[in-house]
Amino acid sequence: MEREELKSQLKKQIVEFLNLMQVKPEDIKDDEPLFGEGLGLDSIDSIELIVLLNREYGIDIKDPKEGRKVLVDVNTMVDYIEAHRTK
Amino acid sequence: MFYIHDNACISPQRTFPEAESDLEQISEASEGKLFAREPAYDKIPLGVLRRMGKAARMGVGAAMELVTQKPDGIVIGTSEGGLEDCIKFLNQIIEYKEGVLTPTNFVQSTTNAIAAQIGLLSANKGYNCTHAHRGLSFENAMLDAYMLLEEGKKKKYLLGAVDEISAYNYNIERLGGSYKSDPVKGPELYEMHTAGTIAGEGAAMFLVNKSADSAIAHVQDIKTLHTRDVARVATELRAFLTKNEKQMARTSLLISGENGDERVQKYYSACEEVLGPNIPVARYKHISGEYGTANSFALWLATRILQGHPLPAHFYKHAAPVSPVSSILIYNNYKGLQHSFILVTDPQETPYLA
Repeated sequence: MEREELKSQLKKQIVEFLNLMQVKPEDIKDDEPLFGEGLGLDSIDSIELIVLLNREYGIDIKDPKEGRKVLVDVNTMVDYIEAHRTK
Repeated sequence: MFYIHDNACISPQRTFPEAESDLEQISEASEGKLFAREPAYDKIPLGVLRRMGKAARMGVGAAMELVTQKPDGIVIGTSEGGLEDCIKFLNQIIEYKEGVLTPTNFVQSTTNAIAAQIGLLSANKGYNCTHAHRGLSFENAMLDAYMLLEEGKKKKYLLGAVDEISAYNYNIERLGGSYKSDPVKGPELYEMHTAGTIAGEGAAMFLVNKSADSAIAHVQDIKTLHTRDVARVATELRAFLTKNEKQMARTSLLISGENGDERVQKYYSACEEVLGPNIPVARYKHISGEYGTANSFALWLATRILQGHPLPAHFYKHAAPVSPVSSILIYNNYKGLQHSFILVTDPQETPYLA
Protein backbone atom coordinates (compact mmCIF):
# COMPACT_ATOMS: atom_id res chain seq x y z
CA MET A 1 0.00 0.00 0.00
CA GLU A 2 1.31 3.45 -0.92
CA ARG A 3 2.16 5.74 1.99
CA GLU A 4 -0.47 8.34 1.05
CA GLU A 5 -3.10 5.64 0.76
CA LEU A 6 -2.11 4.29 4.18
CA LYS A 7 -2.39 7.78 5.69
CA SER A 8 -5.86 8.20 4.25
CA GLN A 9 -6.96 4.80 5.57
CA LEU A 10 -5.50 5.50 9.02
CA LYS A 11 -7.31 8.84 9.28
CA LYS A 12 -10.62 7.14 8.51
CA GLN A 13 -9.89 4.50 11.14
CA ILE A 14 -9.00 7.15 13.76
CA VAL A 15 -12.29 8.96 13.18
CA GLU A 16 -14.24 5.68 13.30
CA PHE A 17 -12.51 4.15 16.35
CA LEU A 18 -12.67 7.32 18.41
CA ASN A 19 -16.15 8.30 17.16
CA LEU A 20 -14.84 11.79 16.38
CA MET A 21 -18.11 13.50 15.57
CA GLN A 22 -17.71 16.63 13.44
CA VAL A 23 -14.20 15.62 12.29
CA LYS A 24 -13.72 14.55 8.68
CA PRO A 25 -10.77 12.25 8.00
CA GLU A 26 -9.46 14.60 5.31
CA ASP A 27 -9.40 17.46 7.84
CA ILE A 28 -6.74 15.72 9.96
CA LYS A 29 -3.33 17.08 8.94
CA ASP A 30 -0.40 14.66 8.70
CA ASP A 31 1.69 16.60 11.22
CA GLU A 32 -1.17 17.76 13.48
CA PRO A 33 -0.57 16.69 17.11
CA LEU A 34 -3.02 13.98 18.16
CA PHE A 35 -2.99 14.97 21.84
CA GLY A 36 -3.24 18.32 23.58
CA GLU A 37 -3.60 20.93 20.88
CA GLY A 38 -4.56 19.69 17.44
CA LEU A 39 -7.07 16.84 17.64
CA GLY A 40 -7.26 17.20 21.43
CA LEU A 41 -7.31 13.50 22.23
CA ASP A 42 -6.88 12.21 25.80
CA SER A 43 -5.46 9.20 27.66
CA ILE A 44 -8.45 6.94 26.95
CA ASP A 45 -8.06 7.74 23.25
CA SER A 46 -4.41 6.65 23.42
CA ILE A 47 -5.55 3.19 24.55
CA GLU A 48 -8.14 3.13 21.77
CA LEU A 49 -5.37 3.95 19.24
CA ILE A 50 -3.18 1.13 20.59
CA VAL A 51 -6.18 -1.20 20.15
CA LEU A 52 -6.59 0.16 16.59
CA LEU A 53 -2.95 -0.63 15.74
CA ASN A 54 -3.34 -4.12 17.17
CA ARG A 55 -6.56 -5.01 15.41
CA GLU A 56 -5.97 -3.39 12.04
CA TYR A 57 -2.22 -3.82 11.60
CA GLY A 58 -1.24 -6.61 14.01
CA ILE A 59 1.04 -4.29 15.97
CA ASP A 60 1.46 -4.91 19.70
CA ILE A 61 2.76 -1.91 21.67
CA LYS A 62 3.52 -2.96 25.23
CA ASP A 63 6.03 -0.31 26.27
CA PRO A 64 4.33 3.01 27.20
CA LYS A 65 7.51 4.92 26.27
CA GLU A 66 7.36 3.44 22.79
CA GLY A 67 3.68 4.37 22.58
CA ARG A 68 4.46 8.02 23.33
CA LYS A 69 6.86 8.15 20.37
CA VAL A 70 4.39 6.48 18.02
CA LEU A 71 1.20 8.34 18.91
CA VAL A 72 2.43 11.84 18.09
CA ASP A 73 0.76 12.52 14.76
CA VAL A 74 -0.40 10.66 11.65
CA ASN A 75 3.15 10.76 10.18
CA THR A 76 4.69 8.99 13.19
CA MET A 77 1.91 6.42 13.28
CA VAL A 78 2.33 5.65 9.58
CA ASP A 79 6.14 5.38 10.00
CA TYR A 80 5.62 2.82 12.76
CA ILE A 81 2.93 0.91 10.85
CA GLU A 82 5.16 0.62 7.76
CA ALA A 83 8.05 -0.68 9.90
CA HIS A 84 6.15 -3.09 12.17
CA ARG A 85 2.87 -4.19 10.58
CA THR A 86 2.17 -7.91 10.51
CA LYS A 87 -1.03 -7.70 8.50
CA MET B 1 -41.90 12.15 51.94
CA PHE B 2 -40.38 14.81 49.67
CA TYR B 3 -41.17 17.55 47.20
CA ILE B 4 -40.34 17.80 43.50
CA HIS B 5 -39.15 21.22 42.39
CA ASP B 6 -38.11 20.73 38.80
CA ASN B 7 -38.07 18.00 36.19
CA ALA B 8 -36.79 17.03 32.74
CA CYS B 9 -37.72 14.08 30.57
CA ILE B 10 -36.29 12.59 27.38
CA SER B 11 -38.71 10.03 25.97
CA PRO B 12 -40.08 8.71 22.68
CA GLN B 13 -42.44 11.72 22.73
CA ARG B 14 -42.06 15.50 22.54
CA THR B 15 -41.14 15.92 26.21
CA PHE B 16 -37.82 17.74 25.95
CA PRO B 17 -37.17 20.55 26.55
CA GLU B 18 -39.90 20.87 29.17
CA ALA B 19 -41.20 24.16 27.77
CA GLU B 20 -41.85 22.56 24.38
CA SER B 21 -43.59 19.42 25.66
CA ASP B 22 -46.51 18.28 23.52
CA LEU B 23 -48.33 15.05 24.32
CA GLU B 24 -51.18 15.58 21.84
CA GLN B 25 -49.28 14.41 18.78
CA ILE B 26 -47.76 11.07 19.63
CA SER B 27 -44.85 9.28 18.00
CA GLU B 28 -45.91 5.72 17.32
CA ALA B 29 -43.94 2.53 17.85
CA SER B 30 -41.97 1.10 14.97
CA GLU B 31 -41.49 -2.68 14.85
CA GLY B 32 -42.54 -2.96 18.47
CA LYS B 33 -40.08 -0.36 19.74
CA LEU B 34 -40.55 3.19 20.94
CA PHE B 35 -37.16 4.83 20.57
CA ALA B 36 -36.42 8.06 22.41
CA ARG B 37 -36.39 11.37 20.55
CA GLU B 38 -32.87 12.47 21.37
CA PRO B 39 -32.09 16.20 21.44
CA ALA B 40 -28.81 17.77 20.25
CA TYR B 41 -27.33 17.57 23.77
CA ASP B 42 -25.73 20.99 23.46
CA LYS B 43 -24.91 21.04 27.20
CA ILE B 44 -22.65 17.97 26.94
CA PRO B 45 -19.10 18.66 25.65
CA LEU B 46 -18.51 16.93 22.30
CA GLY B 47 -15.40 15.19 23.58
CA VAL B 48 -17.50 13.52 26.27
CA LEU B 49 -20.61 12.99 24.17
CA ARG B 50 -18.74 10.98 21.53
CA ARG B 51 -17.98 8.25 24.04
CA MET B 52 -21.45 7.98 25.54
CA GLY B 53 -23.90 5.22 24.84
CA LYS B 54 -27.58 6.06 24.47
CA ALA B 55 -28.52 5.51 28.12
CA ALA B 56 -25.73 7.81 29.25
CA ARG B 57 -26.67 10.44 26.65
CA MET B 58 -30.33 10.44 27.68
CA GLY B 59 -29.61 10.41 31.40
CA VAL B 60 -26.91 13.05 31.33
CA GLY B 61 -28.81 15.13 28.74
CA ALA B 62 -31.91 15.30 30.96
CA ALA B 63 -29.87 15.82 34.13
CA MET B 64 -27.89 18.73 32.68
CA GLU B 65 -31.13 20.75 32.63
CA LEU B 66 -31.32 20.48 36.43
CA VAL B 67 -27.75 20.33 37.77
CA THR B 68 -27.35 24.08 37.40
CA GLN B 69 -29.47 24.23 40.57
CA LYS B 70 -26.57 22.60 42.45
CA PRO B 71 -28.04 19.47 44.03
CA ASP B 72 -26.15 18.08 47.03
CA GLY B 73 -26.11 14.58 45.56
CA ILE B 74 -27.21 12.35 42.69
CA VAL B 75 -29.46 9.29 43.00
CA ILE B 76 -30.23 7.35 39.83
CA GLY B 77 -32.26 4.22 39.15
CA THR B 78 -31.63 2.06 36.10
CA SER B 79 -32.80 -1.43 35.35
CA GLU B 80 -30.17 -2.25 32.75
CA GLY B 81 -27.79 0.73 32.49
CA GLY B 82 -25.80 1.05 29.25
CA LEU B 83 -26.63 -2.42 28.06
CA GLU B 84 -25.73 -1.83 24.41
CA ASP B 85 -22.15 -0.94 25.35
CA CYS B 86 -22.05 -3.87 27.74
CA ILE B 87 -22.99 -6.28 24.97
CA LYS B 88 -20.42 -4.70 22.63
CA PHE B 89 -17.76 -5.21 25.26
CA LEU B 90 -18.76 -8.82 25.93
CA ASN B 91 -18.76 -9.55 22.19
CA GLN B 92 -15.26 -8.07 21.93
CA ILE B 93 -14.05 -10.45 24.63
CA ILE B 94 -15.16 -13.35 22.45
CA GLU B 95 -14.14 -11.86 19.09
CA TYR B 96 -10.65 -10.91 20.20
CA LYS B 97 -10.17 -13.94 22.46
CA GLU B 98 -9.84 -11.92 25.66
CA GLY B 99 -6.99 -9.98 24.06
CA VAL B 100 -6.73 -6.22 23.47
CA LEU B 101 -10.09 -4.64 24.29
CA THR B 102 -11.27 -1.03 23.96
CA PRO B 103 -11.85 0.69 27.31
CA THR B 104 -14.72 2.95 26.25
CA ASN B 105 -17.41 0.28 25.93
CA PHE B 106 -16.44 -1.15 29.30
CA VAL B 107 -16.37 2.22 31.06
CA GLN B 108 -19.74 3.22 29.59
CA SER B 109 -21.45 -0.09 30.22
CA THR B 110 -21.40 -0.11 34.00
CA THR B 111 -24.76 0.78 35.52
CA ASN B 112 -23.27 3.59 37.60
CA ALA B 113 -21.62 5.27 34.58
CA ILE B 114 -24.65 7.54 34.12
CA ALA B 115 -24.69 8.97 37.63
CA ALA B 116 -20.89 9.21 37.50
CA GLN B 117 -20.94 11.18 34.24
CA ILE B 118 -23.54 13.56 35.68
CA GLY B 119 -21.31 14.05 38.73
CA LEU B 120 -18.19 14.64 36.64
CA LEU B 121 -19.79 17.06 34.21
CA SER B 122 -21.45 19.10 36.94
CA ALA B 123 -18.43 18.91 39.30
CA ASN B 124 -20.75 17.43 41.91
CA LYS B 125 -18.66 15.70 44.56
CA GLY B 126 -21.59 14.79 46.79
CA TYR B 127 -23.46 11.52 47.29
CA ASN B 128 -23.55 9.56 44.03
CA CYS B 129 -25.48 6.32 43.97
CA THR B 130 -27.13 4.11 41.37
CA HIS B 131 -29.89 1.63 42.15
CA ALA B 132 -30.28 -1.34 39.82
CA HIS B 133 -33.24 -3.43 40.98
CA ARG B 134 -34.81 -4.21 37.60
CA GLY B 135 -38.44 -3.04 37.68
CA LEU B 136 -38.12 -1.29 41.04
CA SER B 137 -34.87 0.58 40.33
CA PHE B 138 -36.49 4.00 40.26
CA GLU B 139 -38.64 3.32 43.31
CA ASN B 140 -35.54 2.29 45.27
CA ALA B 141 -33.77 5.46 44.14
CA MET B 142 -36.80 7.41 45.40
CA LEU B 143 -36.62 5.66 48.77
CA ASP B 144 -32.90 6.40 48.98
CA ALA B 145 -33.48 10.10 48.24
CA TYR B 146 -36.25 10.13 50.86
CA MET B 147 -33.99 8.59 53.53
CA LEU B 148 -31.17 11.01 52.67
CA LEU B 149 -33.54 13.95 53.06
CA GLU B 150 -34.86 12.52 56.33
CA GLU B 151 -31.30 12.35 57.65
CA GLY B 152 -31.20 16.05 57.01
CA LYS B 153 -27.48 16.29 56.33
CA LYS B 154 -28.07 17.62 52.84
CA LYS B 155 -30.94 19.60 51.41
CA LYS B 156 -31.42 18.83 47.74
CA TYR B 157 -30.92 15.83 45.45
CA LEU B 158 -31.07 15.04 41.78
CA LEU B 159 -33.29 11.97 41.51
CA GLY B 160 -33.80 10.19 38.22
CA ALA B 161 -34.05 7.10 36.11
CA VAL B 162 -32.91 5.96 32.69
CA ASP B 163 -33.06 2.86 30.53
CA GLU B 164 -32.39 2.14 26.87
CA ILE B 165 -33.50 -0.42 24.31
CA SER B 166 -30.50 -2.51 23.36
CA ALA B 167 -30.76 -4.59 20.19
CA TYR B 168 -29.34 -7.69 21.81
CA ASN B 169 -31.50 -7.54 24.93
CA TYR B 170 -34.59 -6.75 22.86
CA ASN B 171 -34.07 -9.96 20.91
CA ILE B 172 -33.64 -12.01 24.09
CA GLU B 173 -36.76 -10.46 25.65
CA ARG B 174 -38.70 -10.95 22.40
CA LEU B 175 -37.75 -14.63 22.28
CA GLY B 176 -38.80 -14.86 25.93
CA GLY B 177 -42.25 -13.56 25.01
CA SER B 178 -41.99 -10.11 26.55
CA TYR B 179 -43.01 -8.30 23.35
CA LYS B 180 -45.96 -8.68 21.04
CA SER B 181 -45.35 -10.47 17.76
CA ASP B 182 -48.05 -8.46 15.97
CA PRO B 183 -47.16 -4.90 14.95
CA VAL B 184 -48.45 -2.31 17.42
CA LYS B 185 -48.27 1.44 16.99
CA GLY B 186 -50.30 3.12 19.72
CA PRO B 187 -53.37 2.88 21.97
CA GLU B 188 -54.59 -0.32 20.26
CA LEU B 189 -51.93 -1.92 22.48
CA TYR B 190 -54.56 -2.15 25.22
CA GLU B 191 -57.23 -3.78 23.09
CA MET B 192 -55.27 -6.72 21.65
CA HIS B 193 -55.69 -9.06 24.65
CA THR B 194 -52.54 -10.98 23.78
CA ALA B 195 -49.28 -11.69 25.57
CA GLY B 196 -46.42 -9.20 25.41
CA THR B 197 -46.07 -5.44 25.15
CA ILE B 198 -43.90 -2.90 23.28
CA ALA B 199 -40.35 -1.90 24.22
CA GLY B 200 -39.56 1.61 25.34
CA GLU B 201 -36.78 3.76 26.71
CA GLY B 202 -36.19 7.16 28.23
CA ALA B 203 -34.82 9.26 31.06
CA ALA B 204 -36.67 11.34 33.64
CA MET B 205 -34.93 13.56 36.18
CA PHE B 206 -36.31 15.39 39.20
CA LEU B 207 -34.92 17.90 41.65
CA VAL B 208 -36.20 16.97 45.12
CA ASN B 209 -36.04 18.45 48.63
CA LYS B 210 -38.18 18.78 51.77
CA SER B 211 -39.52 22.25 51.15
CA ALA B 212 -43.06 22.86 49.90
CA ASP B 213 -42.16 26.39 48.79
CA SER B 214 -42.39 26.63 44.98
CA ALA B 215 -42.67 22.83 44.70
CA ILE B 216 -44.48 21.34 41.70
CA ALA B 217 -45.45 18.02 43.29
CA HIS B 218 -45.38 16.24 46.62
CA VAL B 219 -44.48 12.55 46.74
CA GLN B 220 -46.54 11.48 49.76
CA ASP B 221 -45.79 7.79 49.98
CA ILE B 222 -44.24 4.81 48.17
CA LYS B 223 -44.85 1.12 48.65
CA THR B 224 -42.98 -1.63 46.81
CA LEU B 225 -43.55 -5.36 46.89
CA HIS B 226 -42.54 -8.56 45.12
CA THR B 227 -45.34 -11.03 44.56
CA ARG B 228 -47.23 -12.89 41.86
CA ASP B 229 -50.30 -13.13 44.11
CA VAL B 230 -53.08 -10.84 42.84
CA ALA B 231 -54.92 -10.99 46.17
CA ARG B 232 -51.81 -9.75 47.98
CA VAL B 233 -51.46 -6.80 45.59
CA ALA B 234 -55.07 -5.85 46.32
CA THR B 235 -54.53 -6.27 50.07
CA GLU B 236 -51.37 -4.15 50.01
CA LEU B 237 -53.18 -1.46 48.04
CA ARG B 238 -56.02 -1.38 50.57
CA ALA B 239 -53.44 -1.00 53.36
CA PHE B 240 -51.71 1.78 51.40
CA LEU B 241 -55.04 3.57 50.93
CA THR B 242 -55.88 3.25 54.62
CA LYS B 243 -52.46 4.55 55.64
CA ASN B 244 -52.92 7.57 53.40
CA GLU B 245 -56.63 7.92 54.02
CA LYS B 246 -56.67 11.71 54.23
CA GLN B 247 -54.90 12.21 50.92
CA MET B 248 -56.69 9.33 49.22
CA ALA B 249 -60.06 10.91 49.99
CA ARG B 250 -59.12 13.51 47.40
CA THR B 251 -57.51 11.13 44.92
CA SER B 252 -58.90 11.84 41.53
CA LEU B 253 -56.69 9.88 39.17
CA LEU B 254 -54.98 6.52 38.83
CA ILE B 255 -51.96 6.48 36.51
CA SER B 256 -51.79 2.83 35.57
CA GLY B 257 -48.76 1.07 34.12
CA GLU B 258 -51.06 -1.17 32.06
CA ASN B 259 -49.00 -2.35 29.10
CA GLY B 260 -51.30 -4.50 26.97
CA ASP B 261 -49.82 -7.78 28.20
CA GLU B 262 -52.81 -9.95 29.07
CA ARG B 263 -50.65 -12.01 31.45
CA VAL B 264 -50.24 -9.09 33.89
CA GLN B 265 -53.57 -7.34 33.28
CA LYS B 266 -55.08 -9.05 36.33
CA TYR B 267 -52.94 -6.93 38.66
CA TYR B 268 -54.07 -3.66 37.07
CA SER B 269 -57.70 -4.81 37.06
CA ALA B 270 -57.45 -5.73 40.75
CA CYS B 271 -56.16 -2.26 41.62
CA GLU B 272 -58.92 -0.58 39.64
CA GLU B 273 -61.44 -2.72 41.47
CA VAL B 274 -60.03 -1.70 44.86
CA LEU B 275 -60.19 1.99 43.91
CA GLY B 276 -63.73 1.72 42.57
CA PRO B 277 -65.36 2.88 39.34
CA ASN B 278 -65.31 6.61 40.11
CA ILE B 279 -61.53 7.07 39.79
CA PRO B 280 -60.45 7.87 36.20
CA VAL B 281 -57.61 5.74 34.84
CA ALA B 282 -54.80 7.15 32.68
CA ARG B 283 -52.43 4.84 30.79
CA TYR B 284 -49.11 5.80 29.25
CA LYS B 285 -47.18 2.74 28.04
CA HIS B 286 -48.51 3.27 24.49
CA ILE B 287 -46.32 6.38 24.33
CA SER B 288 -43.41 5.38 26.56
CA GLY B 289 -43.21 1.64 25.94
CA GLU B 290 -42.29 -0.81 28.68
CA TYR B 291 -38.95 -0.68 30.44
CA GLY B 292 -37.66 -1.25 33.94
CA THR B 293 -37.89 2.39 34.97
CA ALA B 294 -41.01 3.39 33.02
CA ASN B 295 -42.55 4.51 36.29
CA SER B 296 -40.27 7.55 36.21
CA PHE B 297 -42.19 8.61 33.09
CA ALA B 298 -45.43 8.16 35.05
CA LEU B 299 -44.11 10.40 37.82
CA TRP B 300 -43.10 12.99 35.22
CA LEU B 301 -46.68 12.85 33.87
CA ALA B 302 -48.05 13.30 37.39
CA THR B 303 -45.93 16.40 37.96
CA ARG B 304 -47.20 17.86 34.69
CA ILE B 305 -50.82 17.21 35.63
CA LEU B 306 -50.31 18.86 39.03
CA GLN B 307 -48.73 21.83 37.26
CA GLY B 308 -52.00 22.33 35.40
CA HIS B 309 -51.32 20.47 32.14
CA PRO B 310 -54.25 18.06 31.62
CA LEU B 311 -53.49 14.83 29.78
CA PRO B 312 -54.89 14.48 26.25
CA ALA B 313 -57.82 12.09 25.71
CA HIS B 314 -55.69 9.23 24.35
CA PHE B 315 -54.35 8.62 27.86
CA TYR B 316 -57.72 7.85 29.44
CA LYS B 317 -59.16 4.38 29.69
CA HIS B 318 -62.71 5.64 30.12
CA ALA B 319 -63.49 9.26 30.98
CA ALA B 320 -61.13 12.07 31.92
CA PRO B 321 -61.35 13.65 35.39
CA VAL B 322 -64.16 16.20 35.62
CA SER B 323 -62.43 18.40 38.21
CA PRO B 324 -58.82 19.53 38.66
CA VAL B 325 -56.59 16.70 39.84
CA SER B 326 -54.88 17.24 43.19
CA SER B 327 -53.97 13.70 44.22
CA ILE B 328 -52.67 10.93 41.96
CA LEU B 329 -52.00 7.27 42.62
CA ILE B 330 -49.40 5.63 40.34
CA TYR B 331 -49.49 1.84 40.16
CA ASN B 332 -47.05 -0.19 38.11
CA ASN B 333 -45.86 -3.74 37.95
CA TYR B 334 -42.88 -5.12 36.08
CA LYS B 335 -43.37 -8.55 34.59
CA GLY B 336 -46.07 -9.38 37.10
CA LEU B 337 -43.58 -9.58 39.94
CA GLN B 338 -42.31 -6.16 41.03
CA HIS B 339 -45.13 -3.83 42.08
CA SER B 340 -45.19 -0.27 43.35
CA PHE B 341 -47.72 2.28 44.56
CA ILE B 342 -46.73 5.95 44.55
CA LEU B 343 -48.98 8.69 45.89
CA VAL B 344 -48.35 12.15 44.43
CA THR B 345 -50.28 15.23 45.53
CA ASP B 346 -50.54 18.94 44.94
CA PRO B 347 -47.76 20.42 47.14
CA GLN B 348 -49.76 23.49 48.02
CA GLU B 349 -52.53 21.43 49.60
CA THR B 350 -50.41 19.09 51.70
CA PRO B 351 -47.83 20.66 54.01
CA TYR B 352 -44.89 18.40 54.81
CA LEU B 353 -45.50 16.05 57.71
CA ALA B 354 -42.21 15.28 59.43
